[in-house]
Amino acid sequence: MRLGWRELVRRPGRFVVAGGALTLIVVLLLLLGGLLDGLYKGSTGAFRSQSADVIVYAEESRNSLVRSRVEPGTLERIGEVEGVDEVSGLGVVLIGGLPQDGARSVDLAVFGYESPNLRVPAPPAPGLGYADRTLETDGVEVGDTIVVGPARVPVEIVGWVEDTRLLFQAGLWVEPGTWHRILETSRPDAALPEGTFQAALVGTDADPASVAAAIEREVPGTSALTIAEAIATLPGVAAQQETFVQIITVTFVVAGLVVALFFALLVLERLGLYGVLKAVGASSRQVAAGLVTQAVLVALGAFVVGGAVAVGLSFVIPEEVPVDLQVRRAVVTAVGLVATALLGSAISFRKIIRIDPASAVGGS
Amino acid sequence: MRLALAEIRRAKLRFGLLTGAVALLVFLILFQQTLASTLLGFFTGAIENQSAEVLVFDEDARRNVEGSVISPGEMEAVAGVEGVRRAAPLGEGTFTVDAGGELRDAVLFGYSLGGPGAPTAVSEGRLPAADGEAVASSVDADDGFGIGDVVEVVPGRYRLRVVGLAEGSRFSVLPTLFVSYPTFEAASLTANPDAEAVLPSLIAVDAEPGVDAVGLAADITASVEGVEALDRATAVQSLPGVAAVNSSFGVVLLLAFVTVVLVTGFFFLILTVQKAQALTLLRAIGASGGYLVRNLAIQVTLVTIGGVGLAAVLLAIAAAASSRDFPIEAEPRLIVTTGLAVLVLALAASIGAIRRVSRIDPASATTRPAGGGLA
Repeated sequence: MRLGWRELVRRPGRFVVAGGALTLIVVLLLLLGGLLDGLYKGSTGAFRSQSADVIVYAEESRNSLVRSRVEPGTLERIGEVEGVDEVSGLGVVLIGGLPQDGARSVDLAVFGYESPNLRVPAPPAPGLGYADRTLETDGVEVGDTIVVGPARVPVEIVGWVEDTRLLFQAGLWVEPGTWHRILETSRPDAALPEGTFQAALVGTDADPASVAAAIEREVPGTSALTIAEAIATLPGVAAQQETFVQIITVTFVVAGLVVALFFALLVLERLGLYGVLKAVGASSRQVAAGLVTQAVLVALGAFVVGGAVAVGLSFVIPEEVPVDLQVRRAVVTAVGLVATALLGSAISFRKIIRIDPASAVGGS
Repeated sequence: MRLALAEIRRAKLRFGLLTGAVALLVFLILFQQTLASTLLGFFTGAIENQSAEVLVFDEDARRNVEGSVISPGEMEAVAGVEGVRRAAPLGEGTFTVDAGGELRDAVLFGYSLGGPGAPTAVSEGRLPAADGEAVASSVDADDGFGIGDVVEVVPGRYRLRVVGLAEGSRFSVLPTLFVSYPTFEAASLTANPDAEAVLPSLIAVDAEPGVDAVGLAADITASVEGVEALDRATAVQSLPGVAAVNSSFGVVLLLAFVTVVLVTGFFFLILTVQKAQALTLLRAIGASGGYLVRNLAIQVTLVTIGGVGLAAVLLAIAAAASSRDFPIEAEPRLIVTTGLAVLVLALAASIGAIRRVSRIDPASATTRPAGGGLA
């Protein structure tokens, strides 16, 4: 192990090749992970902000919020199911709005809601709304009025809320009456009568999955999901996760192969030296430990440099690329990289074990 | 050439590993490009492969088909703009449908039969000729959207009969059906009986012969208040997510290209450094610098071609194993262009190694103890 460390310190240039390639791969992995997390965050904030445990849709909507309709009678029946502590209605309309300055319109997800959640206070008075803070970048301020949809329904912003976007459209949270008005004037084909919502939010102290199953059983025509399940059914979320996880997996395999290739070459070059080491008493285990030490240290060094480069790049990447670098993702990447480096370097163990000490004095 | 091949033959493991690394890196590039183009095609195909040259959005929709609603007054105003040959409503909506005995999500595009907005990539069957008929995206034919299949819009059980299939005509990564506009209206009312009206999402416009679509779009935007008109290509590029997907994959691809090029360049440099003594001896016994450089270039070329070939095989395997919902294809053109780009860049990245070879001094062989010289 000490031997591996000493060689690394004395001849760092020898490891520049593997280190450089791994650094680039780390940048790639971190940016891919950042993209995945950024896409997820921008798509699902409104659902992640829910304090409710279960969301109930109309069965035939196939768990699509905008296609679902839950009548007042259904809300009542859901409230009677055992284990249900609280029921409230939720609806959304994805639409454009024009801020007060009228400079440029903004994409909005206008939510009509009855109960507060983790990030949004209780519904404000009619005509008022809480807005997602991302609208600040469009020049919107608290106290401004946004006119919503072709019917120009005015909503005054009374406060900011954090991380409540849906499908990258900024959340605008209003009381049910204002929402119904926006829905019927802007999307007459999707209009719903007063008291009817698109989904029911259910709070429970019991196991959410069991309560969801009980609701489906006792209230025909409903589809009840835990919030985590509902997030997975949002359009594009599962496809994005699947696509990026595939690319990240292939990238890890490439990292492992780069390490394997580099250390295989290194071992090939030094077969004679290893023979001498074994001839003077070094065990295969000692030689292999040195190699593993080098692989892990090169991987960690690449992670540190690559991490710094990725952070730097995240500041210059265009705004439309939703990169969100998170510590959790970085830790997963570091652990994955070290594991990959260990596996990659292990490919050379067989060669090391088969070195005959006699080869040092000309035997073969 | 003989020297290059002989070395590869004798160091199969070394060159095999390098070829493997290049193959995986090139596969990464090909795989990402294929995923990106498939994803974008599934997002935008229906707009790209419809006949209207210009599409008119509600200006507040920010070029989002789902968010656009056109009022009857806007339709008339657009039809009156000079250069407009035909203007017709185009409705778009996502519905729950019963197809092949299963409930599925599907997008309906309603257009005026015989007017702008018709699917242009019909590969089988025919266009709808009456209400209740539909052309479906061909990739979904096996999921209950084949010719002759009946698709029911729920909950009202409005029936659509598939009479044609169109290539590359999905929208929002969902099965897509092109129907008459009255059919679209009926389906919307079936899905939501409380609907107060069904308004078009867009206006599909055909230009007069000789009128440029880009110019006509600008004229419509300037002369009709409350709308934004875009030519077809701009409309496709402006759809939500297209710019983000393009930029995201662009960044990732750039990094992947840099990685593959640097890995190849670095490895040949290290091989050259390690072979310095042998190369010096070759120079000392008469091999020219050009000869050694040519051999190096041949090795880079062979390793890259081998890597690209292997990557193509891996892509073909990935394509064969891809799901029916998200089928990817190994496109030969993509493989060839990417392979050529990687080859050129790998040769460029080997300049460091080539310079080292060309700068070897044959006389230094006599000063190397390993070569029998005096240090």
